[in-house]
Formats: sequence, structure tokens, C-alpha cells
Amino acid sequence: MRAYVLTDKALERYAGRFVWLAVDTEDAKNAAFLKKFPIPVLPTLLVIDPKKESVAMRYPGGATVPQLKKLLDDGERAVKGKGNTADEALARADALASAGKTKEAAAEYAAAVKAAPKGWSRLGRASESLLLALSMTNQGEDCATQAATLYPKLKGTISGANVASTGVGCAGDLPAENPKRAALLSTLETATREAFDDKSIVMSGDDRSGLYQALIGAREAAGDKESAQKLTAEWSAFLDAQAAKAKTPEQRASYDPHRLSAYMALKTPEKAVPMLEQTERDLPGDYNAPSRLAVAYKAMGKFDEALAANDRALAKAYGPRKIGIYRTRADIYIAKGDKEAAKKTINDAIAYAESLPEGQKSDRTVAALKKKLETM
Amino acid sequence: MRKVLLTLTLFLAATAARAKEVLPFIENDYTKAIARAKTSHVPLFVEAWAPW
Repeated sequence: MRAYVLTDKALERYAGRFVWLAVDTEDAKNAAFLKKFPIPVLPTLLVIDPKKESVAMRYPGGATVPQLKKLLDDGERAVKGKGNTADEALARADALASAGKTKEAAAEYAAAVKAAPKGWSRLGRASESLLLALSMTNQGEDCATQAATLYPKLKGTISGANVASTGVGCAGDLPAENPKRAALLSTLETATREAFDDKSIVMSGDDRSGLYQALIGAREAAGDKESAQKLTAEWSAFLDAQAAKAKTPEQRASYDPHRLSAYMALKTPEKAVPMLEQTERDLPGDYNAPSRLAVAYKAMGKFDEALAANDRALAKAYGPRKIGIYRTRADIYIAKGDKEAAKKTINDAIAYAESLPEGQKSDRTVAALKKKLETM
Repeated sequence: MRKVLLTLTLFLAATAARAKEVLPFIENDYTKAIARAKTSHVPLFVEAWAPW
């Protein structure tokens, strides 16, 4: 979003209508902000009412320029307190979600969607937020059922595409014995494919990549490995083409994580190496390229190269995501057969995780690391 | 929201300077930003992100 959207001149007319704040959730300077406004999904876009210091609009996800314009208009409207019953429920839901009360937020998002008048322009955002809240609170059947109900109302929009793809993911994650699973999976896969094929929807490369992932997941959930593999190859080619069209190193690198995932799924991790080496040269301060190189080298069985790349990533990383780099390091040691070094790495990760300030520190993460250590 | 969880990876870091070309972002300073929003009587927009 930073590479493609926030630099768009079409947003200039909004410059004086808001104060603009960028919060790097990995930076310890933002711990107090994160304690006040927990951010479980990245990116998350908020509009805060300065009088109340409360969230008036919340969108968990990235946005295209047209989406962002709409979100900004919604945010201004919400701060002014103008709206109907559905708007009021949506405002309550956004505030609850921003306070980390996801289950309560889901109920209010559902109320907003239920009370939505015909043509309500916030239906897309409310629906997307509802599905996220349901999936985050393990209410997968409700998530898929709501998606199937809401999709026809949102068809032909980017929100419709997101609702379909989120819903198909929820359906695929349902237990095999769930009697509604097959029908929901089929309905939502058809909807996702329809959105994918709808050329009238303004979609970022990221959006389209997400639809590919949803369709691949749907084929896997249906047990159709052959089609899933074919789609993964298409997805990989699509990502390569998008990266080739990028105008800046940042834009090109924005495709690295998905390209790595696609290469790994196709069992060709070696294809990621030149791409990540290029990114490491282009963006020398960024820990992500060496961190991903470590993953690729590990998959290739080149453990020494993996550890060297992981060293470079650890030296540059900061914030909660550094814990993931420690985890990768432990996994490399395990794959290499060095159990003691793996244990030491997890102990280092625990010490680091416990040292993070409130707002960034996660008791759940510390507990998961300790559990991992016990099993080693 | 599998899609968001799986695809948030595309929203990588760019330099702050690039974003500032169009929108005057304050970086990592909520106290300053909310104070400015209060005095200028406009809402505060927040982009919460991470290098990815």
C-alpha cells in the first residue's frame, strides 16, 4: 500500500482534511499506541476522533486508491456522528474491534449488516470486517454462511471479491464432517471465481494474488491436488509478471513474499534466491530479504547459507517479528540435526519476547515458545 | 479473513519520504499527531503497518 497507494496524486485533495500518522507496529516507540489500539492485522487503517480519542472508522486490510477515498469519506462521516441505525452499529463494532473485543465486535458488525438500508455504501466494509471478526474468533461456519448470504449483495465490487475469498477460506477450514461444508465450499468457490473473472472490478496485484490463493485453497480443500497445483503455477507466473512491471525496487519487492510462497509450493525454492538477493542489494536496511533467503536456503537443504542469511536478518530486525526469525533459525538447526543449538535459539527467542514492552509483548507468543522448547 | 491474513504480506515498507510526497505523514508519534488533530479540528488518519 505504501509502495502503490499512498503516493497517488489522486489523494492530494484529502491532505488538509486529516492529520496523517504512520505507525510501524514493530517499533518500540509505538508500544503505548498499540496498547491503546491493538492491531492484530496488518495493515490496519483507522480514523480517530480527536475529541474522544476513539476509533471512528477501522479497516483491517490494504486498500486501493478508490477504496481509500471511500474509507476517508466514511471516517469523516463517522466522526461527525451522522448516520442511521446501521452506521451506529458499525461505529460500535469498529470501536470494539479496536479495543481488542473481537467477539463483541462480530455481533455488532452482524447487527450493522442486518440493519443496512438498501444502497448503504458501508455494507462492503461492514461485511469484510464481520467475516474477519468471525474467522478470528473461530466461528468458521458463521463466517462462510454470512459470506454466502452477503456475496450476492456485493457482487461486482472489491468488497464482494474479498467476502467471497474470505468465505471460501472459512468453508475450507470447516471439519470434513460438517454437513454444510461441501455446499458452502462450492457456492463460495464459484463466487470467488466469478469475482476473479470480473474485469470491471478495480483490483490491485495484491487483491488478485489473494484471489489466486483463495482458489488454490478451495481446490485443495476439495481434494483436487492437480487443479491446485496448476493454479499455483498460474499464480506464480502472474506474480513474476507483476514484479517485472514494477517501477521501483519497493514495488518489485512487495511481491517477494508471495513469490517465495508460490516457489515453495511448487517445490522450486531455488527460484527465490536471485530475486531475494536483488532485494537485499536494493533495500539493504530491510531484514525481510535475508529472512526469506534463510527460508529458501533451508528448503534447499543449504543449512550453512540459511544460517548466514538468518544472521544478517537478526542483525537488522526489531520488534515482535524478530521472534519469527529466531523460530526459523531454530528450525534450520533442527533440520541440520543440531538440537542443542535449536534449544538455545528458542531460549534466546523467549528472552527477547519477554523483553518487549507492553503493547508489543504477547503472553500467547511466550507460552507458544515455551511449549515448543518442551517438545524439543 | 483468510485473504487479508494471507495477503497482508504485500504491503511492504517503502521510505517515509515517498508517502510524504502526497500526504504529510507524521511517523511513529501518536502524541504529536493527536495533538495536531485536536488543534486543527480534523480527524486523525492512522496507517498501522510493518516492514514486510
